[in-house]
Amino acid sequence: MHKQVFESDIGESYVMAEHPSGLKIYILEKPQYNSAYAVFGTKYGSIDTHFAVNGEETRVPEGIAHFLEHKLFESEDGDAFTKYARTGAYANAFTSFDRTCYLFSCSDRFYENLGILLDFVQSPYFTAQTVAKEQGIIGQEIRMYDDSPEWRVMFNMLTAMYHSHPVRIDIAGTVESIAQIDDKLLYKCYNTFYNPSNMFICIAGNVDADKVLTQINGGIKTVSPLEITRFPADEPDGIVKPYTEQSLAVAQPLFCFGFKENAPNPERTLKEKVCTSLLLEIIAGDASPLYKRLVSEGLVNDEFSFEYFTGHGYAAVIFEGESRDPRRVAEKLKTEIDRLKADGIEKRLFSAVRCGLYGEAVRAMGSVESVAMQLVNCAMGGHGLFDELKYLKTVTPEDVYKRLSLLDGEKAVLSVINPAEEETA
Amino acid sequence: MSAKIYRLTDGAEGLFIKNERFNTTSVSFNFYLPLSEKTAAAYALLPFMLTTCGEKYPDFSALNYKLARLYGAQLDASAEKLGDYQLLRMRISVINDRYTFESESLIKQAADMLLSLIFEPKASDGAFCEEDLSREKRKAVEHIKGEISEKRIYAKNRLIEEMYKGSAYGVPKCGTVKDVEAITGKSLYCAWEDMLKKAYIRVQAVGAAIPSRLFEDAALRLENTERRDITDCRLNEPTAPAQTPFEITERMAVQQGKLCLGFSSEMYGDDDVSLPLMVMTDVFGGGPYSRLFTNVREKMSLCYYCSASSVRQKGLITVESGVEEQNAEKAQREILSQLETVRQGGFTDFEFESSVKSICDSLSTYNDSQAALDTWYALKASNHTLYSPEETARKISEITRADVVKAAGGVRLHTVYRLLPKEAK
Repeated sequence: MHKQVFESDIGESYVMAEHPSGLKIYILEKPQYNSAYAVFGTKYGSIDTHFAVNGEETRVPEGIAHFLEHKLFESEDGDAFTKYARTGAYANAFTSFDRTCYLFSCSDRFYENLGILLDFVQSPYFTAQTVAKEQGIIGQEIRMYDDSPEWRVMFNMLTAMYHSHPVRIDIAGTVESIAQIDDKLLYKCYNTFYNPSNMFICIAGNVDADKVLTQINGGIKTVSPLEITRFPADEPDGIVKPYTEQSLAVAQPLFCFGFKENAPNPERTLKEKVCTSLLLEIIAGDASPLYKRLVSEGLVNDEFSFEYFTGHGYAAVIFEGESRDPRRVAEKLKTEIDRLKADGIEKRLFSAVRCGLYGEAVRAMGSVESVAMQLVNCAMGGHGLFDELKYLKTVTPEDVYKRLSLLDGEKAVLSVINPAEEETA
Repeated sequence: MSAKIYRLTDGAEGLFIKNERFNTTSVSFNFYLPLSEKTAAAYALLPFMLTTCGEKYPDFSALNYKLARLYGAQLDASAEKLGDYQLLRMRISVINDRYTFESESLIKQAADMLLSLIFEPKASDGAFCEEDLSREKRKAVEHIKGEISEKRIYAKNRLIEEMYKGSAYGVPKCGTVKDVEAITGKSLYCAWEDMLKKAYIRVQAVGAAIPSRLFEDAALRLENTERRDITDCRLNEPTAPAQTPFEITERMAVQQGKLCLGFSSEMYGDDDVSLPLMVMTDVFGGGPYSRLFTNVREKMSLCYYCSASSVRQKGLITVESGVEEQNAEKAQREILSQLETVRQGGFTDFEFESSVKSICDSLSTYNDSQAALDTWYALKASNHTLYSPEETARKISEITRADVVKAAGGVRLHTVYRLLPKEAK
């Protein structure tokens, strides 16, 4: 196995290796810790609904990646939760827009737990009966999210922002779409996206990297690498509509205000992500003049937040929170963005938020879970774990200013959840 | 890892939790006060008021700027329910000095900032400033009203309110909207004085070393305060069993119903007597090996989640689930039948052993998280002996099946709370 070691000036280092199957492996040792956190993931999420392997084109029902995640815990010789129960490890999994990850955390019997992980993720077992049983459970999961205002406000915004990119669909699909899933479709998706060449293993904590690599080397099944074609969505530059709303049982309106960014290249670089994070702090972070006004005028509370939302073929800057007047918040955000475009970025604030983000990046190295998840981002994005720390030392206000141009008022969408009538009194 | 106690003054202690693995250092001030309808809202507002402005930091935005300059120092506030008491927490955490660009001294600055914010509030003539007060009151009111958005939490809070009507534990942890609205600059100032006078106070530092003069300076500040009627947060009223279980059904504009069951337990109190109740609750409805997960979710496909948790100081067990209205009765019957199974000792060795292993493994991960350790010790103030996570794990590993059956024997259904959709389906 080809292996490389990456060092940092904050006393951490990690190993990156590639298995002959194409599987990428990242390990950061923390010998002074009690526990370890491991993730076995695939570059496969809710957006992968239209693809081709060996020239054969396939469209699959919405929510199938998430459904597959639920079903993979069951193997012919029992379910993975039962195996982890014997070791005491905490195990879980999640599916997002562009990835599915299986994980465990433990402070004892790490190699045994890693063996369980390697085994169950590589042993699919789907039957018509087990698929039918899961439809009931996932149906209830979908219904739970239907009642979640935070979830609805975000997906309503994505639906108003994207015409055809599958980022607009719910990760778990709908009760109707999951009804179309059967064991054959699950095997088809599994055999496509769970090919080791499309996968990664990321581990942080009290482990011995060489021992881990030896175990993985012997534990990965031999499968020929696949060439997966993901058909790009025919997504126009513009948005669907600038405003969308829904009523739910909430006390005051929730909002999600996003700016769609055109994505000429499907992926954003790490530098673009770092600069955008800095920009967001400057626009509306805790120390920004706009945040001070928004709080002082009673327009936002501690729920206010923002993110740079990116993945394969989509990117948007999103501000979200609760407000008695979401339209006013959106206007003020637009005005502040215009002011920054005209006046430029204040160096004093830039310097403070850069310090803040640097500190956060150092802090994130202290948690095995956070490191493992950052390594997942490295596997997905192709960058190094310490690249952000390095770049934060050299980034300039001018670099950040350039990112302002992506915030185009013509491509902004405001999504609001209003209180259902009976709750407004 | 070791925890060392320092006496500061009457009813006030410093606790240093030495742990050299972290790249950050944290300091928390914890104030324990009786939970009562009269004082809950004002006490709960204090941590938020005190951490957004102070005599030395009169403007919240300037304070946030200072925190960013301290490499993203995290300043957190919370008000929690700890049995029949309110725990007011203010915590700051910073990266260790060696990680800064120019070896700046952050830890001392951060600890001094927190001391100053708590002991030198921005007030004049015995009252907090009106502008700050109205801002924090608005945020508190929005926070309390906003609980309705998260139906799972809302339903559980409603269960507790109904179950403990008229007693301390039934008081919402942040008070009611009406009580928050009635707070004045003067009444809040009195609450601040009472907090310093009457609270049991615990100052905790977690990291490689105690921040310079932290405990000495905290003791000096407290020397000038008259300390009397100091709270003993180890005394809790146990939950009295209900003669006949109470049933409450409420309707709201939701898709999915929530079913919450509250049980009284004859076993209650601190770790020396009630740890078997923790294991019993976990066997009943903890991890994926538990009776509720394997039966109500996996075998019967009735819900996405169905889990149990306990508040051992109070002898309280709660079960929460999200179900369709037509399945609510079936789910309730099954939950009670699973409790009966545990009571009769009908759980398997595998379930029992999995539970013990899972709890012990998880306790062993506490030492890898500074925030988790800090919270652990803060919550253990309600215990007569200050056990570390490892000591607790050792005690858990000595618990037998018979202890679990004994704990379950005293569990009685007290209240059923259902939150159901508006129109019956």
